[in-house]
Amino acid sequence: MAGPAKKRQKREDNRQEGQMPQKKFYRQRAHANPFSDHDLTYPSCPAAMDWSQHFPAFTVAKAVSSTDALDNDHEHENIQQISQQVAVADIGCGFGGLLFALAPKMPKTLILGLEIRTSVTEFVQEKAKALRNQNGDSGLYQNVSCIRANTMKFLPNFFTKGQLEKIFLCFPDPHFKARKHKARIVSTTLASEYAYVMKPGGNVYTITDVEDLHLWMAEHFEAHPSFERVSDEELERDECVQTMRTETEEGKKVERNNGTKYVVVFRRLEDPPWP
Amino acid sequence: MQHPYQCIAAIESTAQGQASSHLLAACGHRLVLVDVNDSKIITEWFSAISTTNTAEAPENDDGERPKKKQKTVPPVKPANIIKLTVSPDQAHAVAVTDDKYVRVFTIGNGKLEEISQRCMPKRPCAVQVLPDNATIICGDKFGDVYSLPLLPTASEDVPMVADTALESATLEADEPAFKPSATNLTVHTKRNRKALEAQMQQKAFSAKKEPLKFDHKLLLGHVSMLTGVAYASRNVDGRDRGYIITADRDEHIRISRGPPQSHVIEGYCLGHKEFVSKLCLIPGTDLSVSGGGENELYVWDWPAFTLKRKIHLTDEVVNTGESNAEASRQADDGTMSQADSSKKDVAVSGMWIVPCPAAHGGTETALVVAIERLPMLLAIPVNQLGLPRGQDVNITTIDLGHAPLDLACIGDSVVVSLDAREEGQSRFQAIKLQEVQEQGMIGNVRDGEMEKRLACLNSYPTADASLDGKTLDDLLYNVGNLRKRRGWGDSAKEGDDGPDGDAGVDDVAED
Repeated sequence: MAGPAKKRQKREDNRQEGQMPQKKFYRQRAHANPFSDHDLTYPSCPAAMDWSQHFPAFTVAKAVSSTDALDNDHEHENIQQISQQVAVADIGCGFGGLLFALAPKMPKTLILGLEIRTSVTEFVQEKAKALRNQNGDSGLYQNVSCIRANTMKFLPNFFTKGQLEKIFLCFPDPHFKARKHKARIVSTTLASEYAYVMKPGGNVYTITDVEDLHLWMAEHFEAHPSFERVSDEELERDECVQTMRTETEEGKKVERNNGTKYVVVFRRLEDPPWP
Repeated sequence: MQHPYQCIAAIESTAQGQASSHLLAACGHRLVLVDVNDSKIITEWFSAISTTNTAEAPENDDGERPKKKQKTVPPVKPANIIKLTVSPDQAHAVAVTDDKYVRVFTIGNGKLEEISQRCMPKRPCAVQVLPDNATIICGDKFGDVYSLPLLPTASEDVPMVADTALESATLEADEPAFKPSATNLTVHTKRNRKALEAQMQQKAFSAKKEPLKFDHKLLLGHVSMLTGVAYASRNVDGRDRGYIITADRDEHIRISRGPPQSHVIEGYCLGHKEFVSKLCLIPGTDLSVSGGGENELYVWDWPAFTLKRKIHLTDEVVNTGESNAEASRQADDGTMSQADSSKKDVAVSGMWIVPCPAAHGGTETALVVAIERLPMLLAIPVNQLGLPRGQDVNITTIDLGHAPLDLACIGDSVVVSLDAREEGQSRFQAIKLQEVQEQGMIGNVRDGEMEKRLACLNSYPTADASLDGKTLDDLLYNVGNLRKRRGWGDSAKEGDDGPDGDAGVDDVAED
């Protein structure tokens, strides 16, 4: 317990209110087992999620209408509503480089990072808080937040069908060993879940410096009937791709290392008619 | 000690205009077919100590441990039957044994014959034969749902061709040449660098899993243990639509389209706070009932993905049961079992729809619920499940004396297999339910006639000196184990590394 407690203590000691958190106090080993029952907190369903905690600037006064309570279950009545839904998700956002680069570029869109490591999540949350304070005048960064989640298990607990316009999968854990491949963030069965939470026409962005993983992700999305690959020309015109290449923490590291960055983007297709 | 029957299934057919009833009962590794009309055992089948399963056991169950550990002592015990189901046309039975084999039997002319055995990559948790009587769907411990032809195709040995998009995942095993999956230009964590070094030293991939040698399709998957798989069909605009409903240990109930569009997820029925262990579709309605590690049943309008209501299994019901369970267990084997420690935790271990004739005649049905280790069943008239919230549902308790293990309906008779371990105790009870007029209550009477007919099963010698209570408990009661162990929350909050054990070793990894 000595190590982490000290780290936490240092965090407290070194930080004044409104100041940016320092990464060195929030490091955590890069791998987490997605199959284990971490002590996660997650809503039992999307309606039970209190988004106002994460996007307080978007909170709306509660509309008093008992008729449109979709699940007519009174359990979710006390939850503060927000004016719009999260539309962009960065799955495995790490220290949030991409999130904070995207946020000012699309200030009207809610962007959420999802990260399985507690400390790293806390870092992003603290950073968002600090940036909001620093940009009080412009109101920037109100649209970005981060939650701790195991998306491989609990994606549908957070998002409803067709909710997301963009999903980013940036520099995911490559899980090199063949035995660990099923722990990869992309698989054909998981692609069905990504398709579920995505709006038809929305994009899944993937980037990695590991060629093997790149081929794996491309192959699995390509094989899935709900996705089509976005052409390279279109990729180059997409601002998000540029941001993803240069602004992610890992992206910068790869740059320094002269590594190659492999990018593939897939578009969510409409569901086929019933047979 | 005698071995209880852990799975039973009724086979009712009208071959050549003659109605016949059979009961298929699994007792440890034995499978027994009984002619109910003649009251005699027709065939027995034993799962042999399979020689193949040590040789080609595809992978360790949890896949997490290194290969080395597999070289432990090969299993000496024959595999127990853990799931049993019958095809809708009553011509075939499918059994799953705990060596991960899916075994298909023909039931015809009063015979039981094993016609195929297929080893799945992970232990199957739920099997069903689709209404086409030609396809098995099978959900496993790792969250995947496969479909298999009921009758294996002739080309059993022909290597699988990627006939579906979803299959390609297993294909790159063909890649013969070694190629490290990363270069030195890749950004690495310490651990990945080690993995890469190991790969460099390796001459070729040997550990790659062999693809399954029989025709199969991966339909869908959860990243969680599956606990229930059900196929449903609904008529929409004059056409039948098929659905696959899957339940998992992480509180999800997912509704996907049926094959060939099983990659499309239609929606989720969410709201459970603990694992879901059983799922029961109510025939003729859009309702389904789910239960698991909570003292409430959830009634869903599943095509709309909405919760209709919850049915509280009142504390009185559950508590009385508990004290009985304890009493009977103490009487049974003189020892207190785990029932004691997990006393307050309800785990729904079975749900069935059984006939329950209405007092004024007519065919009604009832939902019957078993709670793990409790010596009783709970019965609810199906027509009460749709009652609006706020209106109480009548729950009738049927005391059994021993914990029910499985249930099968033969005509109007409900045959319950019991955990009766002392020699001479009856391992079956047959009851008939009837709705009590105007009250929505359910009355029950013992069906002595049926019990007499099953006497042959009861006296079937299954005594086994090596049998002990612990082994039996492990085989019969595993629903409660689905519960997540919580309570290390504090350490997770304090420690910077999640509670996955080996944290903190190579902490400098990132950036």
